[in-house]
Amino acid sequence: MIEVLGLAKRYGGFTAVRELSFTVRPGEVLGLVGPNGAGKTSTLRCLAGIIPPSDGTARIAGHDITADPVAAKRSLAFFADEPRLFDYLTVRQHLAFVARIYGVAHHEAIAEPLLEELEIADKADQLPGELSRGMKQKLAIACGLLHAPQVIFFDEPLTGLDPLGIRRMKDSIRRRATAGAAIVLSSHLLHLLEEVCSHVLILKQGEKIADGTLAEVAARFANGETGVDLEEVFLRATGTSAP
Amino acid sequence: MFSALLYLKLTSFRNWLRQRLRRLRRPKYLMGAVVGAAYFWFFLFRQFYGGPGGRTPLAGMPPISTEGRTMVAGLGALALVTWVTLFGWLLPGDKPGLGFSEAEVAFFFPAPVTRRWLIHYKLLSAQPRILFGALFFTYFSNRWSFLGGGAGIHAAGWWLILATLNLHMIGAGFVVARLTDQGVDRRRRRWGLLGAIALVVVAAGLAEWHGLHAPGAGDLASLATIAHYLAPLLTQGPLGWVLWPARLMVGPFLAPDAAGFLRALGPALLLLAVHYVWVLRAETPFEEASLAQAEKRGARIAAVRSGGLAALRAPTKGRRDPFRLAPGGGRPELAFWWKNLLSTRPYFNLRVFGGLAAFIVLGCHWLGRQPDFQEALPAIAMMAAGFAGYVLLFGPSFARQDLRGDLGQVDLMKTYPLPGWQIVLGEMLTPVSILTGVLWLTLLAGAMAFPDGYAGFTPGVRAVVVVAVAVVIPPLCLLQLLVPNAATLVFPSWAPGPRPRGAGGIDMMGQRLIFVIGQLLVVGLAMLPAGLVALGIVVGIGLLLGPIPAVVLATGAVLLILAAELWLGLKWLGRRFEQLDVSADLQA
Ligand SMILES: Nc1ncnc2c1ncn2[C@@H]1O[C@H](COP(=O)(O)OP(=O)(O)OP(=O)(O)O)[C@@H](O)[C@H]1O
Ligand SMILES: [Mg+2]
Repeated sequence: MIEVLGLAKRYGGFTAVRELSFTVRPGEVLGLVGPNGAGKTSTLRCLAGIIPPSDGTARIAGHDITADPVAAKRSLAFFADEPRLFDYLTVRQHLAFVARIYGVAHHEAIAEPLLEELEIADKADQLPGELSRGMKQKLAIACGLLHAPQVIFFDEPLTGLDPLGIRRMKDSIRRRATAGAAIVLSSHLLHLLEEVCSHVLILKQGEKIADGTLAEVAARFANGETGVDLEEVFLRATGTSAP
Repeated sequence: MFSALLYLKLTSFRNWLRQRLRRLRRPKYLMGAVVGAAYFWFFLFRQFYGGPGGRTPLAGMPPISTEGRTMVAGLGALALVTWVTLFGWLLPGDKPGLGFSEAEVAFFFPAPVTRRWLIHYKLLSAQPRILFGALFFTYFSNRWSFLGGGAGIHAAGWWLILATLNLHMIGAGFVVARLTDQGVDRRRRRWGLLGAIALVVVAAGLAEWHGLHAPGAGDLASLATIAHYLAPLLTQGPLGWVLWPARLMVGPFLAPDAAGFLRALGPALLLLAVHYVWVLRAETPFEEASLAQAEKRGARIAAVRSGGLAALRAPTKGRRDPFRLAPGGGRPELAFWWKNLLSTRPYFNLRVFGGLAAFIVLGCHWLGRQPDFQEALPAIAMMAAGFAGYVLLFGPSFARQDLRGDLGQVDLMKTYPLPGWQIVLGEMLTPVSILTGVLWLTLLAGAMAFPDGYAGFTPGVRAVVVVAVAVVIPPLCLLQLLVPNAATLVFPSWAPGPRPRGAGGIDMMGQRLIFVIGQLLVVGLAMLPAGLVALGIVVGIGLLLGPIPAVVLATGAVLLILAAELWLGLKWLGRRFEQLDVSADLQA
């Protein structure tokens, strides 16, 4: 469960996100879309407790991210657009490290199938420097999912994955949502978002333009037409549609 | 053609400067800069140069004799040749490139420019660094008034030396790359080179055999006699020939006056020109090597951001776990310790520690029973004390597998469900354990070598004191490491990041010194209450109950006070970590 109320983020005098409010319930997948620089990454980083919000509150699984960050972080996972790894830890050592940080008992029992599923099991003793970008991303994902988070933030999770990887990623996201996780993901790959998201939120220059279920948002910008896809909705909503 | 280069360099410099200046708008950075500048002004410049523009000659040094000048030239040449051999020919890997950055590779290699342009680009873009280096060295050498020659001669001389050196290193890189292409890999090259060096040494030895004699007391009596002894060695025979080009290089710098400078200038310029033609004519393809190098450098920069200076040697193989991180619950701090131990050198482990300890015990024991070495043990005890002081002072600057190494991963660590103090504490455990290990070994050596009964230390008292000191060492190390880690959290943008080679220099040095002084101050202040209490207990209780209970009690009190201070420090640092705004503080 994610509840965001009046969130704002300013960098010096520049406002990257303003007055953002939304709710994601367990089982929902919210797609965060917007042009480059709209404030998607800033929003997600605020929600994950990486940077302090300038204003507003966010509750993660019932815990306020600024007032009680430790409890909130225990139930969230954040995946940055660039996978963040430690250069000196092998794949297996990453998992052991993260398991201790999150207090996951018997992590081997969870980690092995996770590595298998992500198809990096045969790289278990390699350093990140020897992995391809996609594999690094998979490792970061394995680390983040180890503690079975109820709230998951993905920043551009699909870029860099191979077609099979994208398919699995989509499946995995859907499965976690079905299992009761609340998920927010930002992406520019709108046709892929359409397949996994139950809701969308369109940001432009830090402001929310529209949000709701896919159907609701589509209806708002459809102008009575039927079968308007998310791409068209996006272009109309952000005002960049060709005349 | 060079307008593009000029534009690139000037705009890059301007933007870099602008960014720096903008950062100074934040009060804490401004304060730091003012303190740093003041420090440099008062301590370095004034001390070395006796005030702005001033020039304090080295006291009591008469002008150098001709023979002395020859010796200095020879020694300088020897240093240059050694340096070049080591870093230009012996140590480089198989494919030294030209040191292009990733962006330069991406923009220039596909661009319609010639190879010659690329080389010129590289040569010109090294100029600011060389000029700065020449000025920097001149600042120091200006004080060597015994050499004669003014600041102008020194600056020009340094410039010639550095510029030729730069060309030589590039040329050496080309040759090494070509050798590799022809199947001479680094091992064969190194053996071949070592063989050649051995040959020169042997030849020099043979040629000088009759004239060669070990320096006697008479030879070492004064500078003049030393020069008289060394000058012919360095200028004649095979060694003289090998050093000859390098002697030409340092000639202008060592010139006593303008006329001498002009005389030395010709050969030095000729040498520079020869080097230039050599580099330009070398038909070695450097593009591929530069590409690989740029990628490696990019990876290394990333590694340095995340792994500290130790990461300069990019890891290539995973290491075994330093200890077993039991699954299930447990202190998360230990996980950081475990992780950071993986980023250190492999020899920081218990086996090596045990081996060294055994070596120290057995060695001191053996020495103690040799009648010939009666002087050795007290000397070892003194050395141990000195070394311990050194480690206490500078250890925290070297052992940096803590927040300083993980600054690039702060955003990842901020998603961990841990209070800040736990992360900070966990991050510091690795340097604490390394420094503690080193200090314990030193303490062991000191204790083993300590003369029996000296200053009223009975074996019993000595043992208790050693244990007491050993127990205090870990919290003391932790206390010291709080300082550089606090500096990292308060001035994250100043954390020593990756720098292109040669661009470190003065500001790095200044920062290190500032940190060491700050660390001394903080640790001194923090130790003051503990020290006073310990002193009181030792004196008071010592009179009543004897030394052993006094030391035990004093240690307990010191530990309590240190624990309280550490607790406060950790809490404060933890809050700083939680409040660290990565978006504002970790820009560039
Ligand atoms: N650390 C920072 N300091 C100053 N401004 C920043 C910082 N980070 C982001 N911004 C600005 O905030 C705005 C939003 O950036 P953000 O990274 O959130 O965009 P985004 O929606 O993730 O874009 P993209 O689709 O390109 O990933 C941009 O205008 C950016 O320039
Ligand atoms: Mg983004």
